[in-house]
Amino acid sequence: MRPLLAVLLALALTALLIVAAGKNPLLAYAALGRGALGSWDRVGVGLNKATPYVLTGIGVALCFRARVINIGAEGQIALGGLAATWIALMFPQAPPVVLPLLALAAGALTGAGWAALAAAIRLHRGVHEVLVTLLLNFVGVLIVSEALQGSLGEPGAGFPQSPLLPRASWLPRVLKGSDLHAGIVIAVIVVVLAHVLLWRMPFGFRLRVLGASTPAAVYAGISPPRALLGVMSLAGALAGLAGAVEVLGVHYRLIDGFSHGFGFNAVAIALLGALNPITVLPAGLFFGFLETGALAMQRAVGVPTPLVAVIQGLTMIFILSAMGLSARRSKV
Amino acid sequence: MDVAAELLAAALRIATPLLFAALGGILSERAGVFAVGLEGMMLAGAFAGVIGTHTLGHAGLGLLASAAGGALLAAVVAIATVRCCADQMVTGLAVNILALGLTSYLLRGLFGRGEAPIVRVTPLTQMPIPVLGDIPVVGPLLFRQPGLTYVGLALVVVMVAALQRTRAGLTLRAVGENPTAAFASGANPIRVRVLAVLGAGVLAGVGGAVLSLQQVGTFTDGMTNGRGYLALAAIIVGRWSPGGALVGCLLFGATDALQLRIQGLRLPFSSYVIQMLPYVVSLTVLAGLGRSARLPAAIGIPFFREPR
Amino acid sequence: MLRMRGISKSFGSVHANRSIDLEVAPGRIVGLLGENGSGKTTLMNILFGIVPPDAGTIVFKGRPLVGHSPREAIAAGIGMIHQHFMLVPAMTVTENVMLGWEATGRWLRPAGVAQQISSASSAYGLGLDPAARVELLPLGAQQRVEIVKAVLRGAELLVLDEPTSSLSPPEVAGLLRILRRLREEGRSVIFISHKLGEVLEVCDEVVVLRDGGVAGRVGAASVDRHELARMMVGREVNAPLDRIARAPGAERLVVANLTARDALEIERVRGLSFSVRAGEVLALVGVDGNGQAELARVIVGIERPTGGAVFVDGADVTAGGVAARRAAGLAHVPADRATTGLVTDMTIAENLALRAFDEPPLRHGPWLDPDAMTELARERIADFAIRAPGPATVVRTLSGGNQQKIVLARELGSRPAVLVAEQPTRGLDPGATRFVIDQVIALRAAGAAVLYVTTELEEALLVADRIGVMHQGRLVGLLRREHVDLGRLGLMMAGALEEPSDPAALYGVPTP
Repeated sequence: MRPLLAVLLALALTALLIVAAGKNPLLAYAALGRGALGSWDRVGVGLNKATPYVLTGIGVALCFRARVINIGAEGQIALGGLAATWIALMFPQAPPVVLPLLALAAGALTGAGWAALAAAIRLHRGVHEVLVTLLLNFVGVLIVSEALQGSLGEPGAGFPQSPLLPRASWLPRVLKGSDLHAGIVIAVIVVVLAHVLLWRMPFGFRLRVLGASTPAAVYAGISPPRALLGVMSLAGALAGLAGAVEVLGVHYRLIDGFSHGFGFNAVAIALLGALNPITVLPAGLFFGFLETGALAMQRAVGVPTPLVAVIQGLTMIFILSAMGLSARRSKV
Repeated sequence: MDVAAELLAAALRIATPLLFAALGGILSERAGVFAVGLEGMMLAGAFAGVIGTHTLGHAGLGLLASAAGGALLAAVVAIATVRCCADQMVTGLAVNILALGLTSYLLRGLFGRGEAPIVRVTPLTQMPIPVLGDIPVVGPLLFRQPGLTYVGLALVVVMVAALQRTRAGLTLRAVGENPTAAFASGANPIRVRVLAVLGAGVLAGVGGAVLSLQQVGTFTDGMTNGRGYLALAAIIVGRWSPGGALVGCLLFGATDALQLRIQGLRLPFSSYVIQMLPYVVSLTVLAGLGRSARLPAAIGIPFFREPR
Repeated sequence: MLRMRGISKSFGSVHANRSIDLEVAPGRIVGLLGENGSGKTTLMNILFGIVPPDAGTIVFKGRPLVGHSPREAIAAGIGMIHQHFMLVPAMTVTENVMLGWEATGRWLRPAGVAQQISSASSAYGLGLDPAARVELLPLGAQQRVEIVKAVLRGAELLVLDEPTSSLSPPEVAGLLRILRRLREEGRSVIFISHKLGEVLEVCDEVVVLRDGGVAGRVGAASVDRHELARMMVGREVNAPLDRIARAPGAERLVVANLTARDALEIERVRGLSFSVRAGEVLALVGVDGNGQAELARVIVGIERPTGGAVFVDGADVTAGGVAARRAAGLAHVPADRATTGLVTDMTIAENLALRAFDEPPLRHGPWLDPDAMTELARERIADFAIRAPGPATVVRTLSGGNQQKIVLARELGSRPAVLVAEQPTRGLDPGATRFVIDQVIALRAAGAAVLYVTTELEEALLVADRIGVMHQGRLVGLLRREHVDLGRLGLMMAGALEEPSDPAALYGVPTP
């Protein structure tokens, strides 16, 4: 209930901003809606956009459950995409089912490794995970840029990008007449698995206890460092997977900067989804459709696309304030 | 020798926006509120500074506008975290997203026709101090800097004195360490924290103006590019003291200056590796200091009048 | 000087204060006596402005105090020394005294304030060093910092909330001397406590609170301990205990030469050795802060000791963690049930599974078994008479006594070999306290070894077969209960006396 109210409030405030720019908010939102859901083709694009959001959102939500703030999705996605690209280019002869699976696995592993690095720095040197994951984002993205200048780059292209990946590595389409690729299926499977993990398995129990009270967790025999390492690696794996999905399903090549902005959006989606995998799904869909609609909104009504970031930021702030107020009330 | 001096001078110049933001962040964090929103406050200040100068015609008014812009965003942080007890770290992130969207949107909405316009202002120039500026080595480093850099350095001294020697400073530090004790001694922790966060917004906003007005001359989307987070790192490196933060900011400024100069030379590393330098250095320094850093004890913990 | 009328305050469904009247004349020490939860602290928090009352008036020195905060209370002349000290640990004594004190001016003049602290310190015999950092001071000294702060700000009424809970007996005597000195100057004192002896010793009159209301108002000279106790509790206090003397069996918990540090790397446990046998209760008494917490953490496996070993039923468990020690039969009731012993936002069933969720029957392969958890919860709720709607109830909604029952149900339900219990009756009403003590005695009868860490001497005397005294991380005395002399115990707790360990007591062999 609360996330829904936050979204509505954010939309209302943003409407004021639209008015300030001299445009009609109702027309703008209508264009937004049409752009997002107007046709099966649009829906397919929206679902594609939502897929990496759902995957990274779940990872961050699980981290939040253990009170770990992980904003490293951007770097993890970038490196996951890099790994997938490398595999695809290295083994173009592999059969069409094996190659994408291999590439996806490589992406997940690389993302997990990058996140584990952040966790290790956090655990052994006591640096707060927000700073570590943030700084590693920059480094990860630059590593990808560097690779695109060198061995993985496409010489002659006007823009840092890799050569087109072999057809065998592309993710299959699942809806005729649209661009919707198999990534959404992966996302839904992950949602179910994550839900089961959190609520039905000892690891999830550990996360929930740790997030509620560190002394109680220690008393219960849970090792906070091990749980932190585990949940961050898992989140990294999901982000790396998302990166691989983007590369294999949408772009069919590695493009410089394709991971931009995912880190913070994942946090927003996790919050919007109330830290529950099942509800992170609609939250991710919301963000995905919001973005596809924004371009249409700009074209149709002339409202600039950065407005979407305003909606996202406001939504987060309202949800956080409401969470703070209710936590405070329960302490009385 | 000259090269080194020139490098240091450049480092100080580049570090100035960081310095303002870091000093603001110290106010906030010493009072017990994480200053993760510095990035957004800086960006808002950068935007407001350019727009203010452009519409009001005077750089001084633009500076005021930048302070107001930073303070506006800081007000959002203050209400959410101090009054509503929202999680401070994540609220900071949310405010940064908000600032990114808001500034880009307003730039296009108010000045372009849906596209990003280019608003140019005359960058603030160097203000060399006569005589002193001619002293070899030290001269160019300390006395041939842009005006706001001098202000920044002076601010370091002011802040040290204010924190240690004034009653307000003592109260602020106490609120950051044990707000309940401060409350029981007659202070008002809520008010202190709100004021501290607003102060952070003003300073970070001015830092943003240093970037847009003094260094670049225009506003582009997301131009702060992580400087607010580097300021946070500088605060930690400096153990939450103004002097230490200055050292931290200089460190990052030097790495950045070095990186720019190296790009001109033909070294075997690609420019991307060199661009990584500031971030890797930050991480290494933070990791090296890591556990010995001593945070204000009550940071991150919201205060409200206890019922028992 | 002070007149509080009709003060009422409720927190949700809890009526902390019901229309309380309180009057204090100048130059008097008034004791405010009551059990935990009787409303004493709430009443004083209202007086001091920390919490607003729902109803009632306060008039101090002829002027009403309405809607005020501590700032106005201090300005009017009220000073409060809280139970949990309101000091900034990282700052010096001088800085703490200057905090919030407007008279020090915009620019601080620490030298002047330090001077004032020194003179007040000698005048009242406080022994304070203005430049010392508060976090390094012993608890007794920290309390005196709060006193000097109140006195220097011109407090005419001082309120002390449970001031002796962290003091050794000689320090208590010192505090009472200071209070009498203040009374001679014409200041008044409100002395909040649940300790009858001290209240009778220093107070002129006593107001007894029970369940949020005034249960009695008497002059201290005209009343005795039994009457006061009866007023506090509302019924006859002494109920006989089911305690049979027994010959203890084999050693179940052995601690050899343990040393341990706290979070600030200060050594808190210095070479402790003792053992607890089957069917016996060893009570460890001592003023809070002498290493008991660190000792418990090391025995239970939450922290690694820096030296020494721990044995459970003969097996060396020193290298293992919490889970390993649980498997060896070690149960633990932590001092802080709300943040450590329980996850208050989770259900009863989940809390009962808190330590055993990773093994059958609560776990099957990779899955948790929620049905098994619910079944177990139903059993325990019945066995321990936990008053709650059901296994899915969120623990936060339960009373302190019921919450502690959940902790006990979990720890005792697994039939442990050894129980380490830290302050298990803290914050509980007499009925719940009795329940806990009965459970401990029953466990003893079943042949387990119990290590009972407490600050309440009377409670230790009720349950223990042997009593050990901890001071500054060492065992300064270990005696059989029959050989205990309260006066010497007090001295041991203050570190003024060290008893060579009575060998019979050390090995728990009954003397012929």
